[in-house]
Amino acid sequence: MLLGALAALIPLLVHLFDRRRPRPHPFGPLAFVLRSQKRTASRLKLKRLLLYALRTLILLALPVALARPELRRDAEAAQVVKGPAATAIVLDASLSMRWSDGTSLFERGREEARDALSDLRPEEPATVLVCTGEPSAPPPPGFDRGRLRALIDEAKPTYAAAELSRCLDIAARALEESPLEGKRLVVVSDLTVGALRLESPPPTVKGPKGEPVRPEVVLRDAADGKESLPNHALVDLKVEPALQAGPRAFQFTFTVKNFGEEALRDLEAAVRVEGTTLGKGFLEVPANGTAQKSLTVRFDQGGTVTGEVVLTPDGLAEDDRRAFVLNVPRVLKALVVNGAPHATRYRDEAFFLEAALTAPGSPVQVSVRDAAAGWREDFGGYDLVYLLNVTAPEAAEAERLRAFVEGGGGLFLSMGDQVDPDAYNARLGELLPRPLRLVRTSVERDDPNAEEKAAKLARVEVEHPLFTPFTGRAEEGLTGARFYRYMLLEADRAEAEGASQVLATYEDGAPAVAVAKRGKGRVALLTSTVDRDWSDLAIRTSFLPLMQRFSAYLTGSLDEREEQRVRVGETVTLRPEGAQGVSAVKGPDGKEVPLKTQPDGSMEVGPLEQPGTFTVLDNEGKPVRTMAFAAMLDAVESDLSRLPQEALAAHFGEETVKASAADAERPPVPLWTWLIVAAAVAFFCEGLLLRK
Amino acid sequence: MALLDAQTLARLQGVKLRARAVMEGVLSGLHKSPHQGQSVEFAEHKEYAPGDELRHLDWKAYGKFDRYYVKRYEHETNLRSVLVVDASASMGYRSGELSKLEVATTLAGALCYLLVRQQDAAGLALMTDGRIQDVPPRASAGHLNVLLDSLERATPSGGTNLLAAANHLAEVLPRRSSVVVLSDFLDENQEALKRILALRQRKNDVSVFHLVDPAELTFPFDDPTLFLDMEGEGRIEVNPREIKESYLEEFGAFLASVKSACAEADVDYELVRTDERMDEVLLRYLAKRGRRR
Repeated sequence: MLLGALAALIPLLVHLFDRRRPRPHPFGPLAFVLRSQKRTASRLKLKRLLLYALRTLILLALPVALARPELRRDAEAAQVVKGPAATAIVLDASLSMRWSDGTSLFERGREEARDALSDLRPEEPATVLVCTGEPSAPPPPGFDRGRLRALIDEAKPTYAAAELSRCLDIAARALEESPLEGKRLVVVSDLTVGALRLESPPPTVKGPKGEPVRPEVVLRDAADGKESLPNHALVDLKVEPALQAGPRAFQFTFTVKNFGEEALRDLEAAVRVEGTTLGKGFLEVPANGTAQKSLTVRFDQGGTVTGEVVLTPDGLAEDDRRAFVLNVPRVLKALVVNGAPHATRYRDEAFFLEAALTAPGSPVQVSVRDAAAGWREDFGGYDLVYLLNVTAPEAAEAERLRAFVEGGGGLFLSMGDQVDPDAYNARLGELLPRPLRLVRTSVERDDPNAEEKAAKLARVEVEHPLFTPFTGRAEEGLTGARFYRYMLLEADRAEAEGASQVLATYEDGAPAVAVAKRGKGRVALLTSTVDRDWSDLAIRTSFLPLMQRFSAYLTGSLDEREEQRVRVGETVTLRPEGAQGVSAVKGPDGKEVPLKTQPDGSMEVGPLEQPGTFTVLDNEGKPVRTMAFAAMLDAVESDLSRLPQEALAAHFGEETVKASAADAERPPVPLWTWLIVAAAVAFFCEGLLLRK
Repeated sequence: MALLDAQTLARLQGVKLRARAVMEGVLSGLHKSPHQGQSVEFAEHKEYAPGDELRHLDWKAYGKFDRYYVKRYEHETNLRSVLVVDASASMGYRSGELSKLEVATTLAGALCYLLVRQQDAAGLALMTDGRIQDVPPRASAGHLNVLLDSLERATPSGGTNLLAAANHLAEVLPRRSSVVVLSDFLDENQEALKRILALRQRKNDVSVFHLVDPAELTFPFDDPTLFLDMEGEGRIEVNPREIKESYLEEFGAFLASVKSACAEADVDYELVRTDERMDEVLLRYLAKRGRRR
């Protein structure tokens, strides 16, 4: 057929040999003919050349087209075409595949997966694995293309980081079920740094003798070869009380990372609660850098607040927001019963405590009463009761106090000269963390060596929420305090409702601070005084925060502030208190999340599949706001830097990786149709030129 | 009137017959002759001066006024016309029945008939072979034969030399004469047309019949052709289809330039295709002139 290409010489031969003798014609206006010829000479020359080229093209294209040539795009691809191979198509469904520039990477990936499926030869069995955070084994390779296509169609991108390497291993295991010798893995992914663990070994399948053999790997790029996928993300969020701005003020500290090659300017960061923007700021983030921004937000009311912080959205909008659940302290009403009032303010038993609890930023409203007035108060109107060096109450008052604590109130007891251990044990024995024994004097205050001989705190449970702030140098504020006298305590009583917990001890091992739960309430006992009679703790820097922590702890708000840092894909453990029951947990989309009760009574929720706020429902189906929690995304998926081709080739092996796998398995493009089209176009153009 | 189409005229041998046929067609087409009363009617008296013809002395006036007066008649102020016919080789070109020269001589002959019929003096300047054959204007009926014989003998030869004709006419033609030029104006000398038109500045009444062959206007050639120059040795081989568009542009521009030059010089211009009916050409021409009077 290709000999027919010699026909392309025909125009040249015609040009050379067809010199027809022109007809002579005498003509008057010869000058005009001459002028016209000069004018059109250059155009005619070009036209003749074009005509010659077009005619040559027509006569060359037709015989070449009849030879039915085909275009193979990639020489390397041609080399790896082998016999039929069992194929596993692994579709990356990780969070990063949600990146979109109008069409999401996942949509493109799904299209690639469909193409990969239709490009398979009829004799090649196939399977499909949608690679999520928790991938399950795919069906064994088969020929039911419809089912596989449905699997691809139904696949959805997740919010979790997917381990593509693990998915490839699972897919490779599935391929081993096929008797065909050829094995092929088709990877449809955005090929970002978070997608593959290049340090892990490449996938292998068992060879005929059981030896590990590398399967053929075809990479289909869902990002269409884009060099970069610009993205910024909220990688960290810290929410801390901002007491300087008020008792219900919080500081939100955003950490934003820019994974793009261009700096970001005027990136908006906002705190939103129930659709209302409470705070807004702007950041500038350098290329491939991070920036922090702090916003202080003051809440009007206490209680559990659910909201979200958001950045200006980009291609991957999911990582530009993060939900939070915050327990805003409500106003705490405290009754301070002063057992030893004094006309001189600083000698008053309640002076230092009152000053600490009413400091700016404190959520506590303090009412100070002397002992007589204090016992007459209705405890129901208070959240907290402080008994400072108070004589033991009468039985009826003690009973009222017990009812208050068991109903959820907080009780703080400090010792002093007015405290009679026996009377306390008799009247308040059920409430005390431990029974009082007797007063121990380490040194008299007026002793010249009192500073040295006084007792000090030797062990503090800094892990406990009460003492969490007193770590490092802050611990000195506690350990530096001198205790001249303190109450010794008995061991735990067997009949006591709940075990007490000693959070701080003196050098001799005697308890300094003991706490216990009584009913729904809590009781804390300081075995010394809160004025300067038995110790100098009241004038130490640690006193103010410690007293504020006591009030928070006793009302339960200290526990509630502990943030649950849960990532999507993980499980969270809920510990309902007392008789509080949990019937269900609902995700941000309103769907129920798997819930498992553990032997210790705690509930395991998850794995959580999406970011946002999760609502916990009690036995009556009502939301327990204090147990709500938020799940966040794994920042690993926000880094959309692309894996270099060389690294991929090194990982999977040069001989198996196809640079543009999308082209490799496609059938060769029939070039002859294009030649026919070219000849037709040339014919049409020739006609046009001739008519001119 | 079917007699007067180009095909029929071509069958009539000789200028005399053709010119007469055309003239008769013209006369029948004129509803009212614009030339009536231009014979020998009295026009005015003029006081006698030596040299005036004594036969024109008005004796009655002498009896009344005792002074000599000479009668002047209209026929003495009659038109003196010269027909300039281009008989160069290019005028011999024909693509149909009649060549440009045949059409030119027929038109000239018909005009001679008309002029002599109204007792105007008609002369002829025939440009052939680069020379001028001059027949001086006369108004006598016998002069018509002389004119028609000269036209009969005209054969296309040599180059167009309008410049020589213009110079000749400028020398011999008195003022206020009528000059009718019949040519294809394919003269390479750009000054020639200007000189012809310059005759208008000498108070002469100049008319131009621009003769073109239909083939010159439409360039209807398809096959590769070797075009030969009719007035020289030039030759050129072209594919007519390739240059047709350009040729038509060039030739159209040439026609327009001649026409606009005539208009600028206040000269009557008539484009004559050789396949046109000649009586219509003359009627068109005469009507145009009638409007000008």
